[in-house]
Parts: sequence; structure tokens; C-alpha cells
Amino acid sequence: MSRIVLIEDDANSARLASRLLARAGHAVEVAVDGGDGLTLIAAHPPELVLVDLGLPDVDGQTVIAMLRQTSAMQQVPIVVFTAWPQETAQAMMTAYGCDGLIVKPIDTRTFVDQVNRYLLVRDDGHVEKL
Amino acid sequence: MTADPHQSDEQTRTASATYLPAAHYSYDQLAELYNQARTDYIVPMPMNGRRMAEYVRMYDVRLDESLIARDPSGADAGICMMGVRDRRVWVTRLGIIPERRGLHIGRDLTLALLDRGRALRATHVQLEVIEGNAPAHRLFISLGFVERRGLLVIRRPPAPSPGLDPAIGVIPLSDEVIAVCLGSRRDVPSWIDESASLLNGGGLVGWQIGTPDGRTGWIVARASAFQLSHIVFDSPDVQFTGLLLATLHSQAPRLDTNLENLPVDHPHWAAFQGLGYVESFRRIEMLMRL
Repeated sequence: MSRIVLIEDDANSARLASRLLARAGHAVEVAVDGGDGLTLIAAHPPELVLVDLGLPDVDGQTVIAMLRQTSAMQQVPIVVFTAWPQETAQAMMTAYGCDGLIVKPIDTRTFVDQVNRYLLVRDDGHVEKL
Repeated sequence: MTADPHQSDEQTRTASATYLPAAHYSYDQLAELYNQARTDYIVPMPMNGRRMAEYVRMYDVRLDESLIARDPSGADAGICMMGVRDRRVWVTRLGIIPERRGLHIGRDLTLALLDRGRALRATHVQLEVIEGNAPAHRLFISLGFVERRGLLVIRRPPAPSPGLDPAIGVIPLSDEVIAVCLGSRRDVPSWIDESASLLNGGGLVGWQIGTPDGRTGWIVARASAFQLSHIVFDSPDVQFTGLLLATLHSQAPRLDTNLENLPVDHPHWAAFQGLGYVESFRRIEMLMRL
């Protein structure tokens, strides 16, 4: 099981994604905006962050930039989770040093596998970045 | 749009919708409606009430002239906002809730705002549409707007401070000098980068720099707790612009940067690229004489 923070303002999308991940055994905490996400992560750094780029307070790129400047978050996978066009999202993912991109709307059949790609569960239970 | 004489002064109606001034709504309600209308937008950029309030203040949006559309059942169907400066108006934040599209509400909302602009004796209206939003672009063309130029929205994540030649003189600018610099601009900014926007927004920082060969220039930006934005500058050449940007980023190396509406053909775009800026998406600026 991995602890995952999902920073997503769209309630339907957050509900679906967190339900799928929870069913797969992950512990998911949802932040509804960038500020909440930063607070949540500062209190307890997760093993993976999924972050939307369009957020109502601080935009996703800035959230990612702030997370990457936190020592506890430098090795934690950050995955862009967005409905933005693939080319735009890819450019932002690369520029901001993210580990991956999952485009919304998600495919419910493959979403958990997509997320798990960014996590590697070792026999001793620790989680490493792939 | 033709006003219905049976409606109040503030409320008008078309065959498909009723229109109310946005001033009847709170910032939170406006943000919520805008977010609903843009949920399937090409590049969704939602807002909260605080950001909506800031947007209204910075960009001189007149809520009494901006409109909310309600469908015949009384449900909110769309939003269109209008900024006003001198004899110019700016159409912005146009969005129709997905389930209520196809009723020409977007067209009627825009026409209603154009009527209001004429009533304010505005001579020009301008707007930006994201590149690739074909329905909106078609609508604006059909209403008589013409394309003025392409605009880039570019980003730069925080990066190690760029080295600066110690021979370059760097002088921080006071608020008074920043205002003077903004008053001397020679560029043709989009609405959001006009000096009025920067001064309304506040939080401005600026520097003047001079090189040993006698070149001088200045750079001003808006600095929030998290982000640099609204960068404007006066520079003799592209290499010097690189120095100005390096100065800015060396002063705020931990801040993310979001720069909207740099003209696509800006002769100094290479200086931005050299400092690590990347294109996010493009807009098209459109104009119409009223």
C-alpha cells in the first residue's frame, strides 16, 4: 500500500480516481486546491503525488515547483493529472521535472496500473521511485 | 440583442435566456459558475472567489456591465465579463455551461456586452481566445472581430540563479520609479499586461540595469508569494533582455514564473527561451471597432 496525495479540484474526477486507487489498496488523500495540497504534503510527505494543472488558487505548475523545492519531496514521484491537451501537458511535465503524465478523463481499466508504474513496492514494504 | 420592455432595467431577455448583471452574484458564485462553464475547456484554469475578486480588480472588470445568462428554467447558463478602460472594452471569461450550449447563449451574451460597450461610448472592443477553440473563434469572426496577433503563454520553473556579470550595474526601482517606467512603455501590451493592470495588481518589483558599454534598460514584474508574473521591460536588444531576465530571476530564484500574452513574434522571445521559458499554449488577440 502506498500513501498518495491527489490534488484535484474536480470532485467527480477526484472521487473516481481515489475510489479506484483505494480499491487497489492505496491510501489516498484528496486536496481540493493547491494550498490544501501543499499543507497536506508538508505535514506528511506521501509516496506519490497526482496533481492537476488547473487549480483554483495556486496553479498546478507552481504547486509542483514549490514541492520540488522541498527536500522531503525531491525524490517523491509527482505525476501530472490533467485534462489539458497532451502536448501542452507533456511540455509542462518535462519543464517542471515531473515523473509522468496521466491524461483525464481516465481509463478506469488502466488507471491503477498507470499509477503503479510510478511506484515500486519492494519486498520489505518500502516504496521506491521506478 | 433586443431588450424586452417588460423586463426591469437591469434584466433583459432573449428567446432562450434571461440576463442579469454579474454584480448580483458574489465572487464565489461567479467563480463557481465560471468553473462550471469551463470544465471541458481546452485548457481548464479554474478560479476561486479570491482569484475572481483579484481578476475583477486588476483588469477593471465592471460587474455591473458583465452578465450572467439564465435559461428559461431560471438556472444559470453562462457568464461573460467586461473590462472597461477609457473608450475601450474587453470581453473576457465567456463561458456557457456544457448542458446549456447550442442555444446561442454565448452569441447573445457577447452581443449584449457589445451593446453595453456602445452605451458606454466605447470605440473598440478586444478579447483573447485560446488557439484551437474553433467554436469561439468562429463566433467572434461572425460578430466582426478581426485577428490582431498571436500571444504566447509561457512558463519558467524555478532554476538556479543565473550568473550575472559583476560589471553590470543593478539598481532596484522604487514604486514611484516603477510607475514612471510603466508610463514610458513603448510596447503594445494585451489588456492583462497594460500598465493599469500592473498598477491595480500591486506587488510590483523592478530593476534598472546598465552595462559597461552604456546600454540601459529596466524590468518590472509582479511578485506574489509563489509566482512572478506580468513581466514588462524596456530593452535595447535581445541580448540585453536576457540580462534583464537574468537579473529578475537572480533576485527571485525560488519563484515560479507565469508570463501571459507575449506576442508570438516578439523579437526578444529568444531571450526568454535562453532563460528556460517554455511555451504552454497560445491565444489569439482579436479586435473590433464598435
